Amino acid sequence: MTDLVGRLLRTPQGAIGCTLILLLAVACVAGPWIAPKDPEAIDFLGRFRPIGAENWLGADQLGRDVFSRLLVGARSTVPMALAATLLGTVVGAVVGTTSAHLGGRLDEAIMRTIDAVMAVPGLLLALLLVGTLGNGSGNAVIAIAVAFAPGMARVTRSVALAVRNQEYVKAAVARGEGGAWIVFREMLPNVMAPVVIEATIRVAFAVMLFATLSFLGLGAQPPSPEWGLMVAEARQYVHQAPWVLIAPSLAIALTAIAFNLVGDGLRDALNPRHER
Amino acid sequence: MTPVLSVRDYTLDYLTGGAALRVLDGISLEVRPGEVLGLVGESGSGKSSLALAIMRHLPKNARETVGALRLGDLDLTAARPKELTRIRGRRIGMVFQDPSTSLNPTLTIGAQLTEVLRLHRGLDRAGAEAEALDLLGRVELNDPAAILKRYPHEISGGEKQRVVIAGAFGCRPEFLIFDEPTTALDVITGARILELFARLRAETGVAALYISHDLALVSRVADRVAVLKKGRLVEEASAADIFVRPKHPDTKALVDAVPRPERRLVGDRSSDEVLLSVERIEVTYGRKKLFRPAPKPSTRAVGFEVRRGEILGVVGESGSGKSSIARALTGLVDYTGAIRLDGRPIAGAAAMDRDYRRAVQIVFQHPDSSLNPRQRVGEILSRPLKLFGGDLAEIPKLLERVRLPAAYAERWPHQLSGGEKQRVAIARAFAARPALVVCDEITAPLDVSVQAQIIELLLDLRRHTGTAYLFITHDLNLVRQIAHRVAVMRRGELFDLLAVDELGGDHVHPYTRALIAASPIPVG
Repeated sequence: MTDLVGRLLRTPQGAIGCTLILLLAVACVAGPWIAPKDPEAIDFLGRFRPIGAENWLGADQLGRDVFSRLLVGARSTVPMALAATLLGTVVGAVVGTTSAHLGGRLDEAIMRTIDAVMAVPGLLLALLLVGTLGNGSGNAVIAIAVAFAPGMARVTRSVALAVRNQEYVKAAVARGEGGAWIVFREMLPNVMAPVVIEATIRVAFAVMLFATLSFLGLGAQPPSPEWGLMVAEARQYVHQAPWVLIAPSLAIALTAIAFNLVGDGLRDALNPRHER
Repeated sequence: MTPVLSVRDYTLDYLTGGAALRVLDGISLEVRPGEVLGLVGESGSGKSSLALAIMRHLPKNARETVGALRLGDLDLTAARPKELTRIRGRRIGMVFQDPSTSLNPTLTIGAQLTEVLRLHRGLDRAGAEAEALDLLGRVELNDPAAILKRYPHEISGGEKQRVVIAGAFGCRPEFLIFDEPTTALDVITGARILELFARLRAETGVAALYISHDLALVSRVADRVAVLKKGRLVEEASAADIFVRPKHPDTKALVDAVPRPERRLVGDRSSDEVLLSVERIEVTYGRKKLFRPAPKPSTRAVGFEVRRGEILGVVGESGSGKSSIARALTGLVDYTGAIRLDGRPIAGAAAMDRDYRRAVQIVFQHPDSSLNPRQRVGEILSRPLKLFGGDLAEIPKLLERVRLPAAYAERWPHQLSGGEKQRVAIARAFAARPALVVCDEITAPLDVSVQAQIIELLLDLRRHTGTAYLFITHDLNLVRQIAHRVAVMRRGELFDLLAVDELGGDHVHPYTRALIAASPIPVG
């Protein structure tokens, strides 16, 4: 494991991505303590104050410090998006690999069901689920995971179909191994690389989905400094104070880039061929 | 007389991870006008790198340190890209190994052939079409006009290679490079391509470099043979001499490794006790779909017996159904018909119990894909031991029996060479203490010298364990060295099943006779 981290850090993408994620982690863990101001303190004289010494990233329509809000908001944005992606990925990867392994009519049945689920837009599906399960972050995580799982299952299956034809899988079948061993020990480790990369890309989507849910009043509620909510609120003041919109947008973009870079680095580091 | 191609002290390095890996080391050779030089070497000996260097198609990490490559009086290493586009195809032609990837699948044969002729010979459209028709006729293709209108997937592999050869000869180059042009084809088709090559060469008098790993084959098509070993030229001699009087020890090793049917490696006779019997087995891929007829079976009512401790060779070209038999026997596909192991009937893949699966093991063709890249060798070997009741402490002993160091248990598959991987796969099969091991073309992707070692290992294991082999291959010479009986398959049917010494007899099937005729037996 330490070996893997070492290899990850030796790639340029991995090093930059890890640095960014480390910064994010610091913000998630210690955000409220390192924030220079109270994120909810309203300052009417400082409405739309531009970027400067007083407010490092400016102030929003209520004079609240954008930088402090970003730091505190990291906590309600990043871990949730991560958890949702992870859950969706695990479920999708297992379903996709199992489907590829079973093949034939069962594979058809599973894949057509997944196609049917995928026909419903992800946001709509998430809305439907949150509507059914009730508001709250936990339910939002489940909703996003369910929305992600079909896509992940499709990606995983396409890779697993190639792996299924590899002779080590045939050897396991010929040996009379059980289905669980073949799926979890022979196939899954060999489909992980593209799945991990797909997952890191989806973290960015998860952040946006969370933001959208918040915007629609089903996720975080104002005055919470959730990043997506900040973007939604700043939308109407974009001509007066673009920084209020740009700062959280950049934070979301950087988060996405960070996970993408780590995904790229992981792809190289996970490939055992580079170990020599 | 100036040579067509001269290579002098040519040295080439590949930069990998900061270090320089020497692939060609001080190579000097010449090809005179009208001469065919055979270039022989194992994989990794640098023979393909030399071909790429001559074509000026080297990868980005290649560094040419010293030496010269000259085509006639032109220095190839100094040629600019613009000059090179005028040389490639027009003055140097190349025929690649795999005909299925050397033609563009989205263009018709006619479009590809006439484009080359218009570009390199300056013909107009009508002239190029007439010339293409003529060329296809000269490479002995039936109905050239129809072939011109077809797409590559509509003609067979042998026909594709003929089209590629027609294109290469059609530009009237001074020099041709053949990079294993028959390796991807089955034996009979390959033999016909070689005949064609000999005829075209006599007609055009073109000089050529013929690259192959098969010394027996090269000594038949080339005038002189150069042997490469790890980037060095170890011996150069006339084709007639090199087989009879190899001088360098590496050449001797190569000559010795070539399978010769008259040199039997197995002396004993198998017992008469039947181990496994196969009756009227049929394998069908795909399933019946709505509105579509059921697919045809890949094997048709094949039946044979394997005796205890016997080596049964199965030969046939690709698509003959020999691998389907292997898959049916190991429960990888379902079948109709009957398999009996020790008289006990096995109804289908689902009915194969642990005993059957232990008794019948399989070793696959590709060493690269037969080991899970995410498992260490030790873990790979531990599975059959755990499943079929063995002791994990046996792993070092297993490795030792396939002549690998016990420390290899800690290695990952990618840290092993192709031959070593195949040894691990053999160890995995023998970990189950099988009664029959199905070997599905296990030596096809290996070099002749490695193949000889693997064969020796298999025979050694058989001496100690009494295991029977179902040895599937397309190499008839190899089978005649080791098998007790030989089964010949074609298009899913069993044509012949004979004892190995009856192969030359009168009552063999004409197809078997054609197969024997097409397998190049080394001279001398």
